[in-house]
Amino acid sequence: MADSSGTTLMDLITADPTPTQKSSSASSAVASPASASPASGLPTALGKVVGEKKSKRAALMQIQNDTFSAAKNALNPVRANLMPQKQKKKPVSYSQLARRIHELAATSDQRSSQRQLVQHVFPKLAVYNSVDPSLAPSLLMLNQQCEDRTVLRYVYYYLARILSDNGSQGLTTGGGIPTPNWDALADIDAVGGVTRADVVPRIVEQLTAEATNADSECELYEIVFGILEKVGTPPKRKKGILGVGAKGGDKESIIRTNLQFAALSALRRLPIDPGNPAFLHYAILGISSSDPVAVRHGLGIVSELATRDPYAVAMALGALLDVLHLHDVLARVSLARLCCTISRARSLDERSDIRSQFNSVLYQLLLDPSEKVCFEAILCVLGKYDNSERTEERASGWYRLTREILKLPDASSKESSKDKSKNKRPQPLIKLVMRRLESSFRSFSRPVLHAAARVVQEMGKSRAAAFALGMQDIDEGTHINTFAEASDLNDSDESTHPESVRRTSSISNNASAGRDTIAGLLASLMEVVRTTVACECVYVRAMVIKALIWMQSPVDSFDELESIIASELSDPAWPAALLNDVLLTLHARFKASPDMAVTLLEIARIFATKVPGKVDADVLQLLWKTCLVGAVPDGKHKALEAVTIVLDLPPPQPGSMLGFTSVDRVSASDPKSALALQKLVQAAVWFLGENANYAASEYAWESSTPPGTALMMLDADKMVAAASSRNPTLASALTRLQRCAFNGSWEIRIIAAQALTTMAIRSGEPFRLQIYEFLHTLAQGGLQSQFSDIHLSNGEDQGASGTGLGVLLSPMIKVLDEMYKAQDDLIKEIRNHDNAKKEWTDDELKKLYETHERLLDLVSLFCYVPRTKYLPLGPISGKLIDIYPAPAEPDGLDDDLVNAWAANLGDDGLWGNNAPAMNRVNEFLAGAGTDAPEVDEENMISRPSVSYDDMWAKTLLEPSEMEEDDARSLGSSSPDSTGSVETSISSHFGGMGYPSLFSSRPSSQTTDKATSRGSGPSTYGGYGSPIREEPPPYSSPDRQRYESFENPLAGNGSQSFGSPDDERVSSGNPQFGSALYDFTAGGDDELSLTAGEEVEIEYEVDGWFYVKKKRPGRDGKMAGLVPVLYPSMKRFTNHHASVVCHPGFSRLKMVANISVAEEVEGGGGGRRYAPP
Amino acid sequence: MILAVLFANVEGNILIERFHGVPAEERLHWRSFLVKLGADNLKGAKNEELLVACHKSVYIVYTVLGDVSIYVVGKDEYDELALSEVIFVITSAVKDVCGKAPTERLFLDKYGRICLCLDEIVWKGYLENTEKDRIKRLIRLKPPTEF
Repeated sequence: MADSSGTTLMDLITADPTPTQKSSSASSAVASPASASPASGLPTALGKVVGEKKSKRAALMQIQNDTFSAAKNALNPVRANLMPQKQKKKPVSYSQLARRIHELAATSDQRSSQRQLVQHVFPKLAVYNSVDPSLAPSLLMLNQQCEDRTVLRYVYYYLARILSDNGSQGLTTGGGIPTPNWDALADIDAVGGVTRADVVPRIVEQLTAEATNADSECELYEIVFGILEKVGTPPKRKKGILGVGAKGGDKESIIRTNLQFAALSALRRLPIDPGNPAFLHYAILGISSSDPVAVRHGLGIVSELATRDPYAVAMALGALLDVLHLHDVLARVSLARLCCTISRARSLDERSDIRSQFNSVLYQLLLDPSEKVCFEAILCVLGKYDNSERTEERASGWYRLTREILKLPDASSKESSKDKSKNKRPQPLIKLVMRRLESSFRSFSRPVLHAAARVVQEMGKSRAAAFALGMQDIDEGTHINTFAEASDLNDSDESTHPESVRRTSSISNNASAGRDTIAGLLASLMEVVRTTVACECVYVRAMVIKALIWMQSPVDSFDELESIIASELSDPAWPAALLNDVLLTLHARFKASPDMAVTLLEIARIFATKVPGKVDADVLQLLWKTCLVGAVPDGKHKALEAVTIVLDLPPPQPGSMLGFTSVDRVSASDPKSALALQKLVQAAVWFLGENANYAASEYAWESSTPPGTALMMLDADKMVAAASSRNPTLASALTRLQRCAFNGSWEIRIIAAQALTTMAIRSGEPFRLQIYEFLHTLAQGGLQSQFSDIHLSNGEDQGASGTGLGVLLSPMIKVLDEMYKAQDDLIKEIRNHDNAKKEWTDDELKKLYETHERLLDLVSLFCYVPRTKYLPLGPISGKLIDIYPAPAEPDGLDDDLVNAWAANLGDDGLWGNNAPAMNRVNEFLAGAGTDAPEVDEENMISRPSVSYDDMWAKTLLEPSEMEEDDARSLGSSSPDSTGSVETSISSHFGGMGYPSLFSSRPSSQTTDKATSRGSGPSTYGGYGSPIREEPPPYSSPDRQRYESFENPLAGNGSQSFGSPDDERVSSGNPQFGSALYDFTAGGDDELSLTAGEEVEIEYEVDGWFYVKKKRPGRDGKMAGLVPVLYPSMKRFTNHHASVVCHPGFSRLKMVANISVAEEVEGGGGGRRYAPP
Repeated sequence: MILAVLFANVEGNILIERFHGVPAEERLHWRSFLVKLGADNLKGAKNEELLVACHKSVYIVYTVLGDVSIYVVGKDEYDELALSEVIFVITSAVKDVCGKAPTERLFLDKYGRICLCLDEIVWKGYLENTEKDRIKRLIRLKPPTEF
């Protein structure tokens, strides 16, 4: 904490810069706090003071006295803990300083006390970042009695500190410190500007006097308005020379100005009350004040008011001409916003003269020497006022920028300065803006570069919006000067018209592709932007890349962008947060123009290959999904390719630095990112399996042209050829998966096999047969089995086959076997019936139907299929199944909806959901996010600062809290580091990382699955068993939450078929269980448990059970929250959790609810059991 | 809104910090983030050279002045350029109080006055006074404009 180097904060407290000035009392108090008993020092001082002063003072002293003793008690133990007594010079502790203030406040009329305060006590106290409220009485006393300005200034400072740290609501007193006269403090601070300026000392008195009564903000308003009233209308100042005029002004006007400044700055901090006309009135008076800060605040208030009531503001404002010469930058920024608001206001539609006047001011601000003002004006022109994004606004912003002309009004000629004169000629806005931006990009200042790139990004947004709205008449090849000339021409006709800026609608095409077309200007700007990638600062580069992404149009080639991004991402300096920001930008870009899906996927691919460990895998996969869905039908093939091309890339070469910038090379230099890459590849394989059918629009149940049986007689080679000619997308996906199933890593092979099964089930012939053959070969091991000895060495469990996948494949093959067998049987039956000319009997139909249902159940174990459409017995079975009067079975699924949904998934329905990745995307799109950045755990140690917070432990973070933070930052820093079981259960259970169009399935099937689970018991249940008997999304306890995202069919009533497991905890009928382990409550709402205790489980929230005990525990509590893992369900006594290994996540999911209840009920013998 | 103003020394110890509208539980994150940012980037930076960073919709501008590094965090209207203005005012006030680019010792000697200056420059999350002379007068509780 305290460094011994001699120049630390602690040293400042310790050392006395001017030791000679110490008064005896001070030195004794400071140097030996223990010996100078405050109890002995204080009464004398008090006795003297109280006797002399007024009764009011006596009251204050009383408060102070109480506070003092309380504070002393509260402080001493803390000090003992926090002050290691290792130095020779004892530091002056906070409590000592506090005591000194209390003492000196009592003698504040003495000069020596004042000097003490100013030179020693106050500056040292400042080192403690904040002060506690127990000092307030003394400070208030000083405020009332001390004459010395420096002392007073410090008093105001500390009062403000007390207030800002505790919030104006007062604070809950820790350690019994009485909170005195709180409102008085609040008021002093609120009108701090007034008190500080010390122009109206009376106000302070008045305030403190009034504040003891119940007061509110109304009074503050009254006071402030009262001051402004006194200020009145200032005499007309000399035009255009602000500040200078003030110097020569008379005393009275200066006092007025000061008052005005103080009152306005207080007013600016008060909540704006648009209903109060006084606000507007005084703010507008403030604009013409000669105090620059007052002008700034005045403009600030006015521009804020203008957003609510532009009409009133515009009417109240007069001409704004000389405002342009304000030398306060922020004032001009407010001016730009004001002009923008008014010139766009609907309510001013009839007063186009006013609007154009403000518009003209806004355009003139484009010429502002300050980048801040100019950029603000550009953003206003572009239609970016606040965080709300309105496409129409943006589009018309782009229109404005490309079309409109800045023509300086004649009025400016009389005050034309040198820089104005050269701009006399009407200038197209776009040219001005481009020139300005280009020159900004040559700046050396990083903030300027960053801001310029941001402006370009916003420009890209507006441009994208214009394209999205199909603004046909924006022709970027148009020569911009044509507008200017046209406007000149018009201008001569109606030169009397006050409007100085006007639109022209004439478009002249066939302009030469010179520099003066919009396209030409843009190209030259983008050239400059691209060179900015060379900036040293990674944040600037990120902004540049975002700008490039936004300026990228769907039609242009993006090779350049691609190589820029690829080379950028190879730079290890990029922090993960920044990369994710760029990734989110891709989302936003996609939302703005869905045509770019393929391009964006290509870019996303670079992220997946270059920085797998840093990007948020969920967000990346969400991007895959949305882009795939959003791509035009022709583009789906390419979109799928873009995602899965990862699978074709050569694996990363460890340590190789060559070809670093090549797009087609995976870089995963450290183990962590290699692991993440692995996960991403798994996710890509999974994605391919889930979505290939969608992308290829090839479904077994939709096959319009059922292949003739002849096709099935072909040998393998011809079959592949036939397949690829039939549907190249699916065929290439198959090829890829097959390759993965052969030569990927163990995990990838597993997933590839699963993906292949999914595709086999969903696709029609010949794909199914092709996959079947392949899987069969894979399961048998083929030639590989002969060499299995060689492969033994790689540490894998070879399983029953050469590929090691035999165990996994056998149930898959079994399903397909059964399907084919049943199909054969069916055909045989049909032939028999045909030959015998027999009708189908009911029994036969029933048998057929049962087979159909059984197969459906079996198939549903592996992937989702629409039950009403899917015909496991082949297309010919359709008629027969239809004949049979199926028992009315609640099937929450409308298959038409499936396809309808698949067709327009890209709609907003997808964007308003709940999954964490969705939240992140939505938050980004909304421009939100001011929360603190996560920092790596090694930096999470509290900084060795001696700020008050750390020292005095008042708001010091408790260790437990810090650990939590650690866990959190660790968890979200990379997708693969979240190994914690709790988090997986509570939040990641939804498995939303898996972008599958089929990841939804009516949960009514859960029961079906449960019954059929017995068919292959040997393959299930083991740790890491690759067969997901229960895909995680459906066993999620908080399924409801993700339902809307995962299952767009939820609206169709499928929610009512909540799986029984869900009902267990969510339906409100309590479950009984017993505590497995001891649990100690960590908070008020938690409940301590003793192992073995009987509990009643009420419901679950975020990984916690709300449980009730039979009898109150030691702490007397009956009910409260416990972690889900602590109590056991009565019926699931054997917590033999099956662990579902979900690809893409490293999280092992403990699926406690599919634990083997049958072992309890069936004694291990009968494998079938009724679903709970 | 100016979310935070933070002064740190060379070792990354925080000398002064002022947060506005930042929840207490996030302050620790900001502190570590800013100090790390400085440690990564301020090596070899020139005095008063402005550096920039951003996090989501929050902007950060920081610089080094003598032995002291200064960080300003803002959002909304306080974007990187507005923060540059803020940091410019702060650096010039600090230089004014200390007479030159401060060593840590000098900075700590003038600690109280620097706090007062900061109080005048950033008030409740908004930039208040920008002129050097004005600030000088205000910290002595003199009216902003002299008669």
